[in-house]
Amino acid sequence: MTNHRQADKIHASAKVLQGIIVIGLIVLLVRIFQLQIIEYETYTPLSMQNSLRMEVVNPARGLIYDKNGSILVENQPIYSITITPARFNAEKIPLLADILQIEEEEVQKKITEAQQYSWHRTSRLFTEVSFEIFSGIQENLWQLPGIGHQIESKRQYPGDVRAAHIMGYLREATREEYLANERIRLGDKIGKSGLEMVYDDYLRGEIGTEYIRVNAYGQELGSYEEGILDISPTKGADLVTTLDGNLQSLAEKLMENKQGGLVAIDPQTGGILSLVSAPQYDLSKLAGRMDFDYWQDINSDPLTPLYNRAISARQPPGSTFKPFMGLVGMELGLLSPQTEIYNPGYYSRGRRYGDLADPGSYNLEKALTFSSNTYFFWLMDRIASRGMLNTWSDLIQDFGMGPVNNIDLPFERTGIIPDSTYMNQRFGERTWGVGDLMSLGVGQGMVSVSPLQMAVAVASIANGGYRVQPHIVSAIKDQKGEFQYTNALFEKIEWIESNQIEAVKKGMRGVVTTGSGRYYADLPDIEVAGKTGTAQNPFGKDHGWFIAFAPVDNPQIAVAVLMENSGYGSISAAPIASLIIEKYLTGEVNRQHVLDYVLSFKPRNETTGVTD
Amino acid sequence: MINAKDISWSVIIIWAGLFTIGLAAIYSATQGPVSQFLPDYIQNNFYKQAVWIVISILVLVATQFVSPRTFQGGAYLFYVFCIFLMVITLFLGVEISGSRSWLRIGPMNLQVGEITKIATIFAAANYLTSRRDISAENLKTALTTVAIFLLPVILLLLQNEAGIAIVYLAVLPVVLFWSGLPHGISLLMISPVLVGYFTILNWMWGAIAVAVLTVAIFLLQRRAWLSLTSLILGIIVVIGTEVALQQVLLPHQRARIESFANPTLEPLGAGWNVLQAKTAIGSGGLYGKGFMEGTQTQLRFLPEQWTDFIFCVVGEEFGFIGSSLVLVLFGLLFLRLLYMAVNHKHPFAQLVIISITFLFFMHFIINIGSATAILPIIGIPLPFMSYGGSAFLTNTIMLAVCLNLDSNKRSFSIYS
Repeated sequence: MTNHRQADKIHASAKVLQGIIVIGLIVLLVRIFQLQIIEYETYTPLSMQNSLRMEVVNPARGLIYDKNGSILVENQPIYSITITPARFNAEKIPLLADILQIEEEEVQKKITEAQQYSWHRTSRLFTEVSFEIFSGIQENLWQLPGIGHQIESKRQYPGDVRAAHIMGYLREATREEYLANERIRLGDKIGKSGLEMVYDDYLRGEIGTEYIRVNAYGQELGSYEEGILDISPTKGADLVTTLDGNLQSLAEKLMENKQGGLVAIDPQTGGILSLVSAPQYDLSKLAGRMDFDYWQDINSDPLTPLYNRAISARQPPGSTFKPFMGLVGMELGLLSPQTEIYNPGYYSRGRRYGDLADPGSYNLEKALTFSSNTYFFWLMDRIASRGMLNTWSDLIQDFGMGPVNNIDLPFERTGIIPDSTYMNQRFGERTWGVGDLMSLGVGQGMVSVSPLQMAVAVASIANGGYRVQPHIVSAIKDQKGEFQYTNALFEKIEWIESNQIEAVKKGMRGVVTTGSGRYYADLPDIEVAGKTGTAQNPFGKDHGWFIAFAPVDNPQIAVAVLMENSGYGSISAAPIASLIIEKYLTGEVNRQHVLDYVLSFKPRNETTGVTD
Repeated sequence: MINAKDISWSVIIIWAGLFTIGLAAIYSATQGPVSQFLPDYIQNNFYKQAVWIVISILVLVATQFVSPRTFQGGAYLFYVFCIFLMVITLFLGVEISGSRSWLRIGPMNLQVGEITKIATIFAAANYLTSRRDISAENLKTALTTVAIFLLPVILLLLQNEAGIAIVYLAVLPVVLFWSGLPHGISLLMISPVLVGYFTILNWMWGAIAVAVLTVAIFLLQRRAWLSLTSLILGIIVVIGTEVALQQVLLPHQRARIESFANPTLEPLGAGWNVLQAKTAIGSGGLYGKGFMEGTQTQLRFLPEQWTDFIFCVVGEEFGFIGSSLVLVLFGLLFLRLLYMAVNHKHPFAQLVIISITFLFFMHFIINIGSATAILPIIGIPLPFMSYGGSAFLTNTIMLAVCLNLDSNKRSFSIYS
């Protein structure tokens, strides 16, 4: 090979290599021109999305107020520490344990638990940590990859009012629930009982969104453009209730260690002033991080504290049924206020039906005051014999006994006011007769009601024959501060005449002044009218009832109290009802002896007769 | 011994320009507004790189005082020594992110595979130019050259450093081509890579590539058996690639290979880097988002942006103007080095400069090709810009050798 040829060859090869370099360079230049100039519009939004993360901001749940504007239910911030196990570095456990002030083993255990749940999803590591620990974590987030923090809220019950059966508790929505409602997301807590359940849609509010600048590790670097794209959450609507906080807390105190239900109602509006079911339970232990042992305890308790006796109990009303019997008897034309019935100590119809009232002649007023059974056995005998059972049943139901009253609480239960259909179902057609119906006249046997139904019924007597719609929420205050009022029904029961109702009121006033209510229910400055009752209980001790309203002239409050397994209503339920009336109308409780009596009340072990 | 006038200052200016832009990008990626989330040792990368640059400048100056004959004379010894170091590294090396390719010497970690590049280039160049009559046309000579390259490649693969190994293999055809391997055979050598690349894009493109290459080889060589080989080899590659993609590889492996062409196949896996790299560069626009203002860079949507994805930082923060400046600087460097080689009288120096130029060029094409998603992502650094002391030092030494050979081109040629 000559030098000349070699030089030619080198130049040819160099040209090829030069070509390769130039082609490579042009390809890359064209490519970056394509990406940065032509497709610029495509990639700019992509890079925006990348660095921004949309976060959901939970709205504050609405508050619940009593009728005087005191807060009954509010929110309390709780601080949680979260973990995304995939990003967490196990070497950081000692540091984490140190900040959390918890043993390393405990932290390790919790982390393992989170890892088992999901390696990539963020889950709560510790909830309800103190603010100091929360701040400590916040300051050290940069050296704790995979660890996060969040502020959540839980329900808090300031003051003395617990009202567990009214307010209800929250629980995480089930899969069915969040699939059925697009406003509910996985992990959201929704009301599962009480007002929290009934008014959940109002209380919940609307979620907001927030744009946060993040890096590829998902670490938050601050808000985007001072939050111009953010949508604030809409706070849930507040509920204004008809409850009287002071009265409710007294009622709860009075019903402690007892079993039964109490309903106090405003007879002019139907607003519930107080509602207690005993035994009660502690809502605050179910708020936020649920006390699981407590939850199991109240679920397995034989006294069923979760059961709302005030609206769901189904017990015979006993003698508290008599005032309504009187009004129905007059409407059916079977008696007038002047009708006198002689009581020889029993009523005889096939067999003798006992009567503990003194023998003598009784008109309606006296029969109510001294709770004579004979009078009402006689009346029921007439009703049953003349085939008026169904009419009787309809008229009794007009007082709110029997069907549900549609109070704004869940799990309300019907009572039983028998009619021929019911009797046929129960006994079979043509197999029942007058004898099976006699005890209905004195509120025993198949007839059964809840304290709420008795409260609604006695309110109708108190207000002169108007049917009220019992309700707890009187107004819903939305985020704009506008009130939305609930228009509660207030309707005359057409067939009730005022002279008839006056006779019944007089009889009930007599119960408190001279009858069985005189020991505990008579108040010095307030005219109270009431009726005691004792329901026979085939399974144990009798149940005591007391229904009352006051003042007689212009009733402001009507009360029904059921004390299960506590014997005579006059000594078990009446003192409680009278204390409630005293507190509501005077603002205080002056009869310390009655209060002490109720607080230390132990049912006496005795069986009672039919009368009270 | 050397005269400052003989030094190619344009190369030094380009070199300084590239490492300055690189330093700025490393600074932005590791010292930016939200760098507190990075571990300390990464935040220090900027300063470590600066120290390495100072060391490299000293080495560059020192290299100019070395006699050019030493490179040729010591080539085999150097090669054997480096291979020995690589074998030692295999057993005693430090493992960093899955690769056992680092040898700890005192406080420094040295990547022996980088230094071996120089040794391999010297050894191959020395072998191919030590006698006048030798040429890669001779099969034995060609195979020996292949062996010189293959030995470090095997060791690199054992160290789990496939990225660097690919660069060795990419330089080999250029070395053989320059040393006299016929053009047609050279083209045949690289044809499987080209056919494979186009087949991954689309098998029809692969088929067209086979046809074009076969015709080109026939026109270059005019030998039927060579064209036939090209055709058969091409068809085998097209079918093999297609069968591998469709049948042999699992869907996620296939997605990894194809993701450069279609990143949405696996947007959170292999496609993630492709998509994020394209997004970073694309969203830079004409002027870029500004120094330390790139959201993709600052918010760390790309892993290791100070090393393999450094070009994305430049693209995002300095835009088309900045990234095209980088491309032009590299282009000028390559053409200047190629000019140096062609104007050198000594075949050893020619081959060494050509080899080094194409070593840089392959790094450049693969790195920026990966970042702009025209090539599958292969993790190799961008010369003079990516963070990495061993690589920067090695690249500077190679550049210094070119400068040395160039400035001594008159005296050197006399001795040959």
